[in-house]
Amino acid sequence: MLQTPALLAHAANLDLVIRHVLAGLGHGIHAGRERGAGVEFSEYRAYSPGDEWRRVDWKLLARADRYYVREAERDSHVAAWLWLDASASMAEPSYSIKGLDKLWTARTALACVAAIAQRQGDAFGLVVCGDGRAEVTPAARGPRQLQRVLAALARTSASGALPDAAALKAALRIAATPAVVFAATDCLDWPSPMSEALQRLRHLRHDVRVLALRTQAEVDGSFPSGVAYREREGEGALHRLLATDRETYRDNAFAHFSGVAAHCRQHDIALTEARIEQPLEAVLRSWLRPPSARGARR
Amino acid sequence: MTSLQPWWWAALPVLLLPLWWHRQKRQRTAAELLATARFLPSSAPQQRRIWRWADVALLFVRLALLVALIAWLAVTVFPWRGNTVLVADGLEPAWVEREVASARMQDASRIALPPQVLDWLHRNEHAWRDDARILVLAHAGDVPMPARPPSFAHGVTFRLAPAASPTPRVHHVVIATQDKRWQALFAAFGSTGERYEIDASPSARTELIVWDRPGAPPADWKAPHWWRSAGAGKRVNAGGLALTYTDTPQGRIWSGMPWPPASAADAAALHAAWHTLAVAPEPYPLRALETAPARMASAAADGTRAPWWPWLLLGLFLLERLLAHARRT
Repeated sequence: MLQTPALLAHAANLDLVIRHVLAGLGHGIHAGRERGAGVEFSEYRAYSPGDEWRRVDWKLLARADRYYVREAERDSHVAAWLWLDASASMAEPSYSIKGLDKLWTARTALACVAAIAQRQGDAFGLVVCGDGRAEVTPAARGPRQLQRVLAALARTSASGALPDAAALKAALRIAATPAVVFAATDCLDWPSPMSEALQRLRHLRHDVRVLALRTQAEVDGSFPSGVAYREREGEGALHRLLATDRETYRDNAFAHFSGVAAHCRQHDIALTEARIEQPLEAVLRSWLRPPSARGARR
Repeated sequence: MTSLQPWWWAALPVLLLPLWWHRQKRQRTAAELLATARFLPSSAPQQRRIWRWADVALLFVRLALLVALIAWLAVTVFPWRGNTVLVADGLEPAWVEREVASARMQDASRIALPPQVLDWLHRNEHAWRDDARILVLAHAGDVPMPARPPSFAHGVTFRLAPAASPTPRVHHVVIATQDKRWQALFAAFGSTGERYEIDASPSARTELIVWDRPGAPPADWKAPHWWRSAGAGKRVNAGGLALTYTDTPQGRIWSGMPWPPASAADAAALHAAWHTLAVAPEPYPLRALETAPARMASAAADGTRAPWWPWLLLGLFLLERLLAHARRT
């Protein structure tokens, strides 16, 4: 069973991983306004690969000897926007679980959100920020869109820096309709053009949810000491880690992430902090929980 | 291995260039990537000096190419001849076999004796391996005695077959005179062992013309030496005779001798004196000789390079280009 993060990290097939994560997640995470297939019948559409078999009209198959899918009337106007931070710092691997890095977790979490959105009939699009560019996959519905998004996620690799404000401007035009923005990032560049873009989306009354991913070693500074370290982004200076530097590290990291949390609170952005070694279901559950429910639980 | 242009080996320091290129001298302290490195105190970059070789295969090919090029320029010769017997033509086979057996060189290769064998040996001695011996079998008189005792880097043994009875040499002489005494005198010269043939007119074989007629000789008469009754020129003394000679397009004209010699004794003295001046001495034949190998630099100018050198250079060059290309891509 692909239950542990280690086993999941080694599963090459993103689709398979999503199924297992979602199977563990259960239902009722996000109250979509559309109940899936077949509430208000709208039209028949030719079957295309990726459609669920249960939506095929079997009686029509018997009559016409062709596969048709029943399309239902959709009344959901909520679009889900998936933001992936694919800057070089996202390549930071886990020191305890081999093969697991921040990009993998972010990618898988976003893929799960995409799958959930697809199941609920919501439109969803993807913005990949990395290498100084913002690549936008326009929002759409349906299984094909899911395949598109999964393919875009699968070919993403962590490199370069985050895009600047000008490059993000095109990505900001996406959200004409009410949207839920799921942003998976490591929040190391904060504030940054990307954080400002998210902040602007929030001011446009979109629901912005940020997933701040860190590795366990980043949280408690348990890197091997005696080695020189260099930042992943840019030709950074060298940094040392002696045994006595861990306290400094933890203080600095705490100050930075406190600042991030304060910034998000100030702009009413939902921030979920997670470590990539945690089970993905738990991370998703807290990320997808509506902000009101969070507040209620707090 | 022998080098015929050894100064080219002074170019060997060129090999330091690829060694220099392929050495990585400095490297920054190995730094690992860390996304949250900014939260760590910064440290000064440290250089550490390491000695490491990059692209060892390419380095070796480049070194081999340079060494081959220098060796080619230095005309490096690899000795390949072992024990060898140099045999002159026309020797009695039984004597040859006896000499070869006594020198215990039955399995040695045999080559024909080249002319001027001592010079030839000096020039080509680099082709013999260090431990090789050379046996020279020749007719007595084939090998002239050199002015200095011959010295070779290898042991060379000369064995000379007893010479066959020498055939008397025939000199062609033209006597243009009415005086009958000249014929008698040349008949007397002939009694010393060399034969004189008296022709009426000069030919290509004519060595001497005795001119005792009034007037100048015909313009088409040519011979290396002339005897004339009177003439001017350089004076030389030989055997008590004061001879003069002068060089003309027709040949060297000798004069000042008793004309004609009065007696057989005068004639013999004249012949001896002229002979010492005009005729090159016969080389003294080398006798049986055995030289010990001497350590010496055999420098010959006309060493030929082995035919496979250019192919070796071309192959190494292509290999170097291939490896360099493979490294870039």
